[in-house]
Order: sequence, then C-alpha cells, then structure tokens
Amino acid sequence: MTKNNKDQKTTAPKAEGKKPEAASILKKNIKDLSLEDYEQLEKRIGTSTRPFPMWGPQRVEENGRSSIQTVLSFIADDSQPLKIYSERPYEEVVALAYCDMPVPSMLPIFKDGIERRGDPLQRQKDILEGKQPQNENFNRTQMMIGDPGHGKSFLGALQGRLRAKGSVEIFDCGGKNMNDLLFEMVLDFGAADALPKAIDKRLKAGSLEDMSLGLVAQLNNLEAMPESVKGEKAVAEWKEQTRIVTYGDDGKASIDWAKLREGSEEKITRAFDILTKISKIEGLDNAGGNALGMNSQFGALIRAFIDNREIVLDEYNKSREGSDNALQTVIQFLIGELRECTVDNPLKNKDNTSGPSSFTFKRDDMGAGFFVTFTGNKTEDGSTTRSLNKSVYDRLKPDTLPDPDVIDWQHRICQMMVGMPVSTIYNAFQEQADADPAAFGEWLMWMRETKAKVEGTPIPELQQTLLANWQDVVSSSEKLALFYDRWATLSDAEKITTSAPDLIEEVDEEYTKKEGMSFRRIKQHLEEAQPIRAKMQPVDSPVKVEFGAWNKAPKQSETVEENPSLNYGTRLVEYIERMVFEKSGSVGKNKLYSKLNKAMEEFGLRDISLKEGARSRQKSVEESLNISAFADKDLNRQAQIARKVFCNFVRQMDPSIEADDDSIITPKKFLDALKHVQEKETAATNELFVANRDPEQLYAGQPLAAAIIKDAALYAREKKRLDFDLDDLVHHDDFIASLALPTVGEKNLSSVWEQNIRPMMRDSAPAQAEADANAANQNNPRRNDGLSMAEGTSEHGIATTSLQVLYADEDGERAVTLHIVRNEQRGKTLVVGEKAPSKLLAAFREAGVTHVDRNDPSAQTKVEAAIGDLTRGMPEVVKKHLTDAFKYRNNVDPDYLREQAGKPFADADSEKAYLAEARKEYLEGKQLAELMVAPEVTMNLPKFVLKNTGPR
Amino acid sequence: MAQETLKQVGAAAAQQNAMERGARFLAHGTRLFTVSSGWESKMIREDRGVPSCETMLELEAAMRDENVRVIFIPADALMTDADIEKISERNGVTKTLFKEVKT
Repeated sequence: MTKNNKDQKTTAPKAEGKKPEAASILKKNIKDLSLEDYEQLEKRIGTSTRPFPMWGPQRVEENGRSSIQTVLSFIADDSQPLKIYSERPYEEVVALAYCDMPVPSMLPIFKDGIERRGDPLQRQKDILEGKQPQNENFNRTQMMIGDPGHGKSFLGALQGRLRAKGSVEIFDCGGKNMNDLLFEMVLDFGAADALPKAIDKRLKAGSLEDMSLGLVAQLNNLEAMPESVKGEKAVAEWKEQTRIVTYGDDGKASIDWAKLREGSEEKITRAFDILTKISKIEGLDNAGGNALGMNSQFGALIRAFIDNREIVLDEYNKSREGSDNALQTVIQFLIGELRECTVDNPLKNKDNTSGPSSFTFKRDDMGAGFFVTFTGNKTEDGSTTRSLNKSVYDRLKPDTLPDPDVIDWQHRICQMMVGMPVSTIYNAFQEQADADPAAFGEWLMWMRETKAKVEGTPIPELQQTLLANWQDVVSSSEKLALFYDRWATLSDAEKITTSAPDLIEEVDEEYTKKEGMSFRRIKQHLEEAQPIRAKMQPVDSPVKVEFGAWNKAPKQSETVEENPSLNYGTRLVEYIERMVFEKSGSVGKNKLYSKLNKAMEEFGLRDISLKEGARSRQKSVEESLNISAFADKDLNRQAQIARKVFCNFVRQMDPSIEADDDSIITPKKFLDALKHVQEKETAATNELFVANRDPEQLYAGQPLAAAIIKDAALYAREKKRLDFDLDDLVHHDDFIASLALPTVGEKNLSSVWEQNIRPMMRDSAPAQAEADANAANQNNPRRNDGLSMAEGTSEHGIATTSLQVLYADEDGERAVTLHIVRNEQRGKTLVVGEKAPSKLLAAFREAGVTHVDRNDPSAQTKVEAAIGDLTRGMPEVVKKHLTDAFKYRNNVDPDYLREQAGKPFADADSEKAYLAEARKEYLEGKQLAELMVAPEVTMNLPKFVLKNTGPR
Repeated sequence: MAQETLKQVGAAAAQQNAMERGARFLAHGTRLFTVSSGWESKMIREDRGVPSCETMLELEAAMRDENVRVIFIPADALMTDADIEKISERNGVTKTLFKEVKT
C-alpha cells in the first residue's frame, strides 16, 4: 500500500516573509528513524535540573504513621526522565510543557501520554543502539473520559503541539457515523475552491439570489435525525452538531465549508444537489474552475495515519450508536494487538463515485508523529452520550478524570490570569521559590516570554504586571479556588445531600446541569473582569446631578487612561458577586445565596474590615489583584515609569519643548536620581523632592530638585520674620508632580506631617504637659487622636495636613493651600488643590492619589467620596478626628466672617467676640469635605514648601 | 526609521493596545482580542506576517498553516463569533486572533 494524501487544502491568505520549514522528522516511519534523528527529536524534562511537577498517590509519614495520600511532587530523574520526541526547539518544549501544563489531577494522564507516544520510538532507538528493547509497547492510543470542559481535547492536542508546530485535528465524533473516520464522501470543489469562494463573495456582498439564499438555509438539514435522538435537549444538540450555516447580526449567512465538504453519503449527496442548484441559479456552473463533483476518500483517521500526525477523536461516545463496529479491528491495530489490518471502502463505486477501494494499516508504516487520542464524556452527561461496548473499554482502557480538586481550580485560574500555572509550579518548588523569590519570578517570566514568542505576540500588560507580582497571584488564586470549589459543591445536587442538605429544595439535577460550577464558568468570570468598563458606584457615594440643560450632551472631560491591572481585583470580585446573585439570589435560591455570600467572606474575596477599623492582615483577593505599576519593586522599572510621567509633564508645562524622553533626561540619570531619593532619610527633617523644570539643571541630569517645609508657626514662636518670599516657594504643579512619581511620591508623603504642634502646645499651655504626654500615648484611652492624625501617627493609619505652595494663573502669582489626607495602610491619598496638569492624572491613579481641583463644581462631592473611601471600614469617629486634625492648621478667614456680619462693629471687643462665635459656628457646622474646598478656609501659620537651596 | 520598521513597531503597539482590553479564551490556548476599527486595525492588517481572513474557509486555512501565528479578522468578515469558536475547537493549535470591531 502506498501512502497517498488526497486531502484538498485551501491555502491561508497572505502571510509573507516566512521561510519554508525543513522536512519533518516526525513524518518518517518509526522504523526509518536514525540515531541522528533521535538526537534532534529527544527533549528531556523531569531531570534533576529541570524537574517537572507531578501529582499522584504517595506514602506519606506523619506523626510516626504512614498513609497513602495524593500529593503534588515532581519528577527529577536523570536516568529515567520524561522524553518528549519533538521537532520544536528545547526552549519551546519547556515553555509549552510548563505554561500549558494540564491541571494536577490530569498530570498522571499527561505523563502516561508522553510515555505511550515515546515507547515505540524508544524501542526503535534501543534496536539502533544494539540494546535489548526496554518495551514492546505498540499502543498508539490514549482514551480519557470526563466532564465537559475538563480539558480532555486540550490535553490530547497539547501532546501533539508539544511535538510539532502544526495543528492537531480535533475530529468531533458527536452524532457521526464512525465509518466516516475510515472512508467518507467528499465534495470536490475543483481547483482552489473556486465555487465556495464565489458563493462566499456573493454572500458577503449581499448579492446572492433570494432563491439561492433559501437553498443555503437548507444546508442545515442535510442529514435525517436518527430515531435514537429524543428529547428537547438531544434534538438541540443534534441540530448544533449538524449545523453548517450560521447567521450574523446583519443577517448574512456564513457557510462552514470544511464541515460541509466531508461526511456521510447521505449528507454529501444532498449537499451536492443543493450546491448544483445554487451554482446554476447564480450562473457559476459556466465559469471555468467552478466544477463540482463528489467522491469517496480516506476518512480523517486514515489521513492522519498517512500523514503521520496526531488526531483527537473528540466525544467518541457521542458518536452514532452501532456505527463503530467497523472500527473494532482498526482499534486492535492501533493498540498494537494486530500487526496490520485492512478495511474496505463501502462507498466505492456508489453513484458513480471513484475513490480508494480499501486501506491496509501496517505497523511498518507507523509514523513517528501518528497518535490517536479518544475523549469521551461521562455517560451521565446528557442523553446523547452512550456507554461504549465492553470490548472498546477493554481495548482502549480509558482513564476517568477525577472531579477537579482545589489545586486544579487554582491551576486553571492562574493559567487564565497570567498564561501559566504559577500556583502549581510554586507548590512543587515552594522551598526554593520562598528562599529566592526574585530568581523564581525571573524564571517564571522567562517561560512566559518564551511562550509569547511561540505565540508571536507580546505578553499582555495585565499578565506581565500580575506575573511580576506572582506572590499575589498565588495567594489570591488559592482563595478564589477555595471559593469556586465551595460553589461547585453547593451547586451539585449529589454532593449537597451530604454537605448541605438544607439546599435540597433549591438545588436539583437540572440546576446542577444548568448552573453548576465548571472551568468554563470560571473562564467566563476571568474574561469579563479583564476589560475596564463603566462601574456602579457604592450606594452611599455622593452624587451631584446637574438639573439644567439635559438637551445637550455632557461636557467631555479628558480621558484618563487606566492601567488594566490597577483595579483588576475589584472588577473580578464585583463580577463574581454579581454572578453569585444572578445564579442564586435573583432566582429565589436564598439559602444558596446566603451560603455563597458567606463563602466569599470566608475566603477573603473582598477587603475585610475587622472591629474598630483594624484591617485583616490577610490581603483580600481584591487587594492582591489591584496592582499598581508603581508597586514594581525593581527600581529600574520604577525609573522607567517615573521618567515617562516626568517627561510628559515637562512637555505639557512647556509646549515649546518637543524633545523626546531621551533628550529631556536619560534613563540612567533618572535612575540615579531615584536611587538618591531612596537612600536619603528625609522624614525627620521635612525634606522633599519635587519635579525640576529648570532647563539648565534638567539638562545637567537633575530631574528632581530638593525642597523643604518651613513652618510659619516656628518663626512666630521665635518672633522671627519670614526670611523667604513668594519666589522661594515650590510651584504647585512641581510638588503634585512629585506625588505622581513612584518612589518620590512615597518619600514625600512620609515627610509632610506635623512636627511642631505638640511642642508649641507645651509652650503655650505648660499645664497641659501631662495631657500632652497622654496624647502621645497610643494606648491611653484619652489620647488625642486628632493630633495623632495631624502627625501621621494614628493607629488607624490615616492622617491629614496642609501645605502652601506657589500658584500662578490669570490672577497672578500667589501662595495656595494643598490639603492632603493619607491612608498609609492602603497606600491611598487625597490631594485637594488647584487644577492639575492632565498628564499627571493617569499616574495619580497608579500612585493611589485622588486629586481634586477645588474649583471644580463637583469638588465637594469628589472629596466626600474620597474621604469615604479612605476611611472605609473605620469607626465613624475617625472622620471627626480627621476634621479636628484639619483644624490645627486651617481656619476660616476673618475678612469673610466680617463680610458675613454685614455691619460695622461698635468696638474691637465686640468684633473679637463676634469673630470667635462666628468662627466656632462656621467650623462646627461643616463637614471636612466642605471645609477642604471652601475658598474662605485658609491656613493660619502655614507650612510653606520651599526650594531647598541650603541653610537659611 | 525605515518604513518597514515603523510598520512593525506600529503593529506591535496596536496589538498591545488591543490586548489591554482583554481576551476571550478559545480552545487550545487560542485567544481572541478585539481591535478597534481605525489605526490599530489598520496597523495589524498591514503587518506582513498577519493574514487577514474574510471567510471561514480562509480562517480554517490560516489556523492549519503552521507558519501563521497571528490572524486578523476584519469587521465585515463573513463569520460569527460562534464560527470562530468552532474553528478554534477543531484545530488543536494556539493562535492569536485579532477581530476588528466598529466603535
């Protein structure tokens, strides 16, 4: 028998610039392989330096007792490693094997698959080397049975992808006659698929005749539904399996030509008739090259054997009942029971078709790349799944996949989040990863980058950021996995009988089939969380509706680009919460809803606020996965980000600067500047670093200028006049730009807090020294928390202060106040000031800074929302203390109060009395947000931010 | 910078932008990204190494071509998302698909 390939191919549209590949070694017959071929093919993983994770039962000693437990360990054997016979370069094999690794519970099947593929090749190699063959295994099949979506066909194809670059054919057996695997009828469209292309062209242009469109629709009814298909679900499944034509939103039909082309005699004969009619109606039968014929040809299995490639026979036990009888001897051949077998073509010479009359499978023709993976669904999955013959089970010896374990959920979650199973790799090599997390992280990144090269695209930014924070991914994926595992149990009608019997009324088999938790659902949740979409605000957040002019579209404010990882955790958790409600609470399953809500709390999906506002030490999933680009611990990376923000800022401040980033400041200079900032101790001396726009200094390589806070209160105390003027103040924009730079912002926010109030209180009221001491004592129940908040030492981790900087606009130059509220624990800051340059806004988000322009009509609403967020989970009294802290430095302008009085005062005493009363009334009657944006609230004895040019 | 290099840089930037909007995970590790109609889709479409598939027939062929790793699907391509998913399921290979969407 000569191997021949009659498969007709349509070439892919232009993909230029590629070199032709060298001849494939896997296309050779096993008996023809040489030792040189083996040298190229053999790729070893699971050696002592390249250990590979493995899952399975093992005897474990615990407290002097031994027991069999299923554990995640690894293979690290230099003598007997896993050998993958692959045409891919070693680095690609490793990247794919680790990144696309099957879930732990499927790893033994993966290992078995590698060994089955390798055994006949190893045997041949032994013979070539003159050794006694280590095995006599000629089995070229593997079968696995499991739930839909478990990853069976993925695993089969993965083994093929590991070995060769080409696509692995996934043959959907659902509803098909298995004889078609050996011989099938095929439509012959002539040279270069001229007829399908002509019809597609007209469908796309909308120019196909109405009568032809009617005939196209009939392509969905080519095969009569077998009598065995009964019930609504089975009928729908059958229709889906046989669907050839689909319709888009625009009503245009698309024809699945690949599916239409091949199949049973009945199907192809009808398709031929329909297409012949369409061809005549459209006048395509006259055009050259539009010839239409039908023929019989080798089926998919024989073609795979001839081509020496892998094939996955998917959903084998959903094939048509009784149709696999002819396959029995072929299966005997495939598993190595027979050396050869011949199958006859029952279609030969029917309806004047030509084609092969028979085919003989011979072991000597067995190619190195040929392998067959059978997959099947559990028989309880739907009425179209059937139990196979005992002989099939005996021969194929299917592996039944276990229900997914928590470690499996976690593995798959990580794969979808970052493109590789970080959790499984970490769990297998935990000790080393914990000892050197940086090296472990670099190794992970190398593998992911290599996989990206194989895929021909860069790593998505979200995945890159998450992978750089792999510890957060491991911890959050574990919590998510535990939660999904609980959800899977609670939505499984069988499992709840023992684990949650009170749910029996709410969770039945139908619900399990429809809404049960599965990998596919998790995939959907993770997909939905990726894009940044409009977000529903918390119910108690303030809102300001403009009641006028709704006939006009709202004013478009400048779009602030958000890094996708910044709020990824929030998006994911909010979507899960929504799904929990939709799948339980909203459909009247209140007990299930309550249990799922408890599970979300138990496994820490959301930030947990404990009593008295103290936060849990455990990071929630939300917090772990909300990752700012600023969080990257690598100073080089921080310098890159900071430089980009800085250069955009400089160009915006002076539009005449058109220089690119490198011309403004080199990466090295910026890195040096950040190193200096990082090393310098500044908190005790109130020293700061601000953006430096002085051209000379900037071009000399100094992107940051030194600054210092000078407290007017100290000058007053020492009865000194201020020894600086407006020109010495740091510009508002240069100061707030510093808050948008990683490292610099953090450093500055540690240096702005009060240092003088307490000593001055001692001066002015010595009798209160004891109270002052109490105020300093965090454990004293009478401590002054407002004062601690001004000093940045409150146990709640929240603080506020105010500073004065220079600002210039059409009203001229003047000192303006900046109010700062900081939640140190959550790394979030509110800054209320003047309008900020728009180029800083995206960086503010990364830095956790909410900037509010006090002149914005919605300023108060925005400040209220920000304070609400900063004090989330804290006792209500914290806001009061925060207001007290604010009042240490801020007061209402007396001129404003005089103006409000509306009449002259009789004497100085009455004026003084009025001012005291009016001030008290004003300050007590207003919330912090209102005070922060009110123009009449000014700093008394301000803290000025000055350029630090040396000692004064 | 040479015109070709500029095009490559532009295509890479367009791909990265599209990737930031998230993917649909199809079978066998294939990912489907949406790309806005405009400069981004133009850049990807014009990338010499990226075939543009207007029909299912062309998409099937591109999926089976081992030299193709990235595929562009124009907004007016004759196929639905379900068609794309189906083709991805029956081809055990990892590709990156960019589907143009009109914004």
